[in-house]
Amino acid sequence: MPSKKAPLIETIDLCKSYFNEELETPVLFDINLTIQEGEFLSIMGPSGSGKSTLMHILGFLDNPTSGKFLFRGDRTKSLNDDELARIRATRVSFVFQAFNLLPRTSVLDNVMLPLLYHPTIPASERVERAMHAIATVGLTERATYFTNQLSGGQQQRVAIARALVTEPDIIFADEPTGNLDSTSGIQVMDALQQLHDDMGRTIVLVTHEEATARHAERIIHLKDGRIASDSKKFKRVRSNGKGKLK
Amino acid sequence: MLLSDTLATAYRAISTHRMRSLLTMLGIIIGVGSVVLMVSVGRSFERYVLDQIEAFSSNLIEIYPTGFEKFGRTLDSLTYSDYEAVSRLSTVESVAPAIFVTEKVQYGTEEISPFIFGTSSNFFHNYGQKLASGRLLTEADEKSARSVAVLAHQTAIDLFGQRDPIGESIRVGSRSYTVVGVLESLGSALMQDMDTPVYIPFTTARAATGQKELSYMSMKSKGDIDLTIADINSLLRQRHGIVNPDGDPDKDDFRARSAEQAAEIVGQVTLGLTVFIGLIAGVSLVVGGIGIMNIMLVSVTERTKEIGLRKAVGARKHDILLQFLLESVTLTLLGGIIGIVGGAALGMLVAAVASKFIGTVPFVLSIPALIAAILMALVTGLVFGIYPAKKAAELSPMAAIRWN
Repeated sequence: MPSKKAPLIETIDLCKSYFNEELETPVLFDINLTIQEGEFLSIMGPSGSGKSTLMHILGFLDNPTSGKFLFRGDRTKSLNDDELARIRATRVSFVFQAFNLLPRTSVLDNVMLPLLYHPTIPASERVERAMHAIATVGLTERATYFTNQLSGGQQQRVAIARALVTEPDIIFADEPTGNLDSTSGIQVMDALQQLHDDMGRTIVLVTHEEATARHAERIIHLKDGRIASDSKKFKRVRSNGKGKLK
Repeated sequence: MLLSDTLATAYRAISTHRMRSLLTMLGIIIGVGSVVLMVSVGRSFERYVLDQIEAFSSNLIEIYPTGFEKFGRTLDSLTYSDYEAVSRLSTVESVAPAIFVTEKVQYGTEEISPFIFGTSSNFFHNYGQKLASGRLLTEADEKSARSVAVLAHQTAIDLFGQRDPIGESIRVGSRSYTVVGVLESLGSALMQDMDTPVYIPFTTARAATGQKELSYMSMKSKGDIDLTIADINSLLRQRHGIVNPDGDPDKDDFRARSAEQAAEIVGQVTLGLTVFIGLIAGVSLVVGGIGIMNIMLVSVTERTKEIGLRKAVGARKHDILLQFLLESVTLTLLGGIIGIVGGAALGMLVAAVASKFIGTVPFVLSIPALIAAILMALVTGLVFGIYPAKKAAELSPMAAIRWN
């Protein structure tokens, strides 16, 4: 039985390799990482350092090749595709660099998308939950707009609302400001920070930008597939509410 | 994911690309439309033919001599005494003997080569022919072998134009005949031949041709037509010394056939033709299905990122499979419905246009054909949709999200 104080995520000697026919390409080596509930963590590293691969494993998009991956103390060994999908539907969510919103579809419908696949949230609650998430990112008045009618920053906030709507245990944000100008980037980071500070959400931010990473309270540096450093409790940057959401 | 959500998702995907969806459906629309059109036109004309047969030939039986190939002689198996014997059957209402006369018919400078029947007054009753002017052939004409003739509607026009033929003299071969009656038109394309013959008394024809045997007999049955045919068969077999307990038609030297049997043959022929044409039209459904598969494959590639996203937010393999399968099935079903409406509308148009030329052609919409067309559309959607849907469902969420 897992203890009550079990961390949200724990990896022990986690490795990942990709195989192309006979050729093995190792990407992650002996990753030992613990993420507590309510943490705001950045995973940093240059291109090819393995940060996205790590995020995909932690986000149940992929399985590790070896090592242990525990979620709330439960071993997640060799889950099949449907089991991974169920966890993605209920426990984790993502914010992608390219927003990945459905084109020619309203903000409301985009935010409701994960609820279509949620096994327990009834259809009757979808609109209310989605509108609440949209309100959280300050886009209530744009709920009926098509996503292509919004600015980049607004689109990413729609993606954040979509990540929030199932009330997941953890939100993974993969280069969320990578496609945005600096002002929009600040707005998006403020929105994420607000989710953590005000709502206690666990957020894992994947980025290669130091300035973006410093919004988190803990930064992990990856280099060549290994954890190079894990620094906690440094002073976080805040935008002093400049781009603060309404 | 709820089925209603999957359906709504499929509908949205289709309505987002209206033009493409319509073009994709075109093959199915044409395929289903052709099946429905061909089958309903076939059925409509079959109904038309059967209606005609029923209207003009109710309870009609015709007896022909047969066995030319077998017996190696001219068809002389039906005699006048056969006719007299058949006349005495209690199940027979009226019988008319008939001899075909092959001669030219002349009036003034006009010369035609119509069918000439040497027959009796019952003949007109058997085929439901009505008199337009003058009189029909009588027993007295027959007893005295008078040189009188009754003209069918079209022949009277061909020979006399607007003039009244009654009392006029025409030449049939080398003999002169007085026209005593003209028949009404039957007004039907199917019965067109019945508007052209010339009728002379049986005895007169026999004298003119020297033919003793009958070319055929026509009769009306009193009650159950099959019983009457059985009576005729047994009587004529007995008279001709034929032992045929199994009823093998090859052993008989005659054939008694009802109009209903002729109608059955018509039904079988049109059914065969309809099925054949329907199958050819069905081939276009396969072509349409390949079009659907092609577009669905393009759609899967185009929407790789969307599939990745759906998987990232919790869609299972079978959610994606069902979504894409429902899209292709919705496309084919929609195409099927449009095809049915279009095919039926065209079928109605064909029946309406045909009615203007050949008399009432009732429009028949074949329900089994509709069900078959819808099922074919459904199966086409499933068969040609499964591969693209499987391809979509198998996509890895990471690869799909990163896809550009």
